[in-house]
Amino acid sequence: MKLLKQHAAVKSIGGIVLLLLVFFATVSLIGYNSFTEALLSQYSEGAFLTAETAARRLDADRMEEYAQSGGTTPEYLEAWNEMDELCNSTGATFIYVIQPDRSDYAHITFLFSTIDHDSRYTKYDFGYVRDTTNDEYRQKYRALYELEADRELLIRDRGYIETDPHITAMIGLKGADGQVKAILCVQRQMDVLATARKKYLSKIVLALIILVLLVILGQSAFLHRTLLQPLKQISDEAKRFSKENVKAEKKLQDTIRNRDEIGHLAASIDKMEDRIQNYIESITQITAEKERINTELALATRIQADMLPHVFPPFPDRNEFDLYASMDPAREVGGDFYDYFLVDDDHLCMVMADVSGKGVPAALFMMASMILLRNNAMLGKSPAEILTDVNAAVCANNREEMFVTVWLGILEISTGRLTASNAGHEYPVLMRAGGEFELYKDRHGFVIGGMEGIRYKQYELQINPGDRLFLYTDGVPEATDADKELFGTERMIQALNEHKDRRPEEVLNGVRRAVDGFVKEEEQFDDLTMLCLAYRGSADDICLKDE
Amino acid sequence: MKIEKKANGSALEIALEGRLDTMTAPELEKELNGILGSADSLVLDFGKLEYISSAGLRVLLSAHKAMSAKGGMKVTKVNEIVQEVFEVTGFADILNIER
Repeated sequence: MKLLKQHAAVKSIGGIVLLLLVFFATVSLIGYNSFTEALLSQYSEGAFLTAETAARRLDADRMEEYAQSGGTTPEYLEAWNEMDELCNSTGATFIYVIQPDRSDYAHITFLFSTIDHDSRYTKYDFGYVRDTTNDEYRQKYRALYELEADRELLIRDRGYIETDPHITAMIGLKGADGQVKAILCVQRQMDVLATARKKYLSKIVLALIILVLLVILGQSAFLHRTLLQPLKQISDEAKRFSKENVKAEKKLQDTIRNRDEIGHLAASIDKMEDRIQNYIESITQITAEKERINTELALATRIQADMLPHVFPPFPDRNEFDLYASMDPAREVGGDFYDYFLVDDDHLCMVMADVSGKGVPAALFMMASMILLRNNAMLGKSPAEILTDVNAAVCANNREEMFVTVWLGILEISTGRLTASNAGHEYPVLMRAGGEFELYKDRHGFVIGGMEGIRYKQYELQINPGDRLFLYTDGVPEATDADKELFGTERMIQALNEHKDRRPEEVLNGVRRAVDGFVKEEEQFDDLTMLCLAYRGSADDICLKDE
Repeated sequence: MKIEKKANGSALEIALEGRLDTMTAPELEKELNGILGSADSLVLDFGKLEYISSAGLRVLLSAHKAMSAKGGMKVTKVNEIVQEVFEVTGFADILNIER
């Protein structure tokens, strides 16, 4: 947060500071220039005034004479002394009279040279010859001699390290014939200008620094109050909410009253908290509801599974046959069921059924069907009668149009005579003693619950000692692998035959392993329900065999 | 599963593609509930139907009952697997099937 704060403040204040700097630079440049100009004109005026005073004292026509005299005549010396006084009384640094070399103005010869005694310079002796300082001077000299200029001014203001900034006022000394005989130069140092400018600049900079500091302070205080503090408040609130998921006691809008985007943001956060809170509440409710339903569904699944007989061996005192059955439900309660029970001492009833659809409706329908089938069977009816009556009962109250496929068979244990009826269910698989498991394509009636008034037919089948019967629901052949390929009856029969001599329990386990190996990780949508009966023969047969 | 409807006046033709099982049967049921009232006859094209489960049979049975009072329902282009299911469950005796 600290980093962000700095960042945001720097960004917004930086722009203002930059603008201030540009403004000050412009102002000080203009000030600097007009300041310099004013001072320069004052300096030059003073310098020319001195020069004109000196020029009046000097007689131009005598210059040639002075030059010839070698600088020793009393007249010359008197003039020199007066010039010296003038120089020291007017604030000029240097007053000198020169004669340039007229051919190209490259050399100058000093006639007079006086100097302010307080300055750090030394004067040139009479007749001293030196090179003209630069082209600028040369042009000025030429202008005075040849272009009839009365006066010339030369400003050396910047960039001279060896000398301080100075101006030189030049006047051509004209003889009676109007010709320039020599040049009088008055040089003035501009030290006052330099220091004044320095002072001016430092004042400007100081003012700038103070102003910038004020702006930074003021702006950050403003930003802090209007932007950063509300932002921090919002961010803190968002952090708090994400941790606690409970609405704040005091809304952000109550403390952040900005009418700008920050205000909108605060309002939005408040609204979002409201919505999320409501959402969380309804989700909690839904989840609780779902959990309750799940618990009840789990209970229903258990009750359903408990309905199926599941104690093995089922009839420990009956050694005429061996029977095993199992149901592995798919992900939720389904509609498969098996059943077996003794109608009387000599009659074993076996049921394999599959209700259309899944879930609670199928489970309820399955319960009803199972009880109807069992009750009708216990009355001693034949399989065809049982199915016909159950169909009539189911159809009477079947608004949901559900149906169930049923294979029902009653085995006369003493004789091995099996009477069975098939209401739209899968073909049973039969193994004759010593042979292989094979589909037994029995006659089919329509599913139970599908159509009113159907009269089911039944068939008889002789089961001999050593024979085996395998019943199943479509969950077995229709188990599906990842490529949507069905397990199929062929694979099922193959799996059966691989375990055909085992006990019924092992046969079923073998088939289940084969199915599991086929579908692998793929989730199954149908129950896996199987029943296997191994008939050993009547009690008499077994006794004979034992003897 | 893909359900393709073609209405020719009050004669309705529906082509199914894929698997008609527990997962997809409710889809078909919803479709049929919406349009069966206004249809006089129904043809179900099973040419591209790969598989039918008991949940699918239930929807067929409902449709069959709904249409039997009117122009009836016909199932066409039934493949081997589906035909076997029809035979095993006895639907083959009830439905008007055209292979």
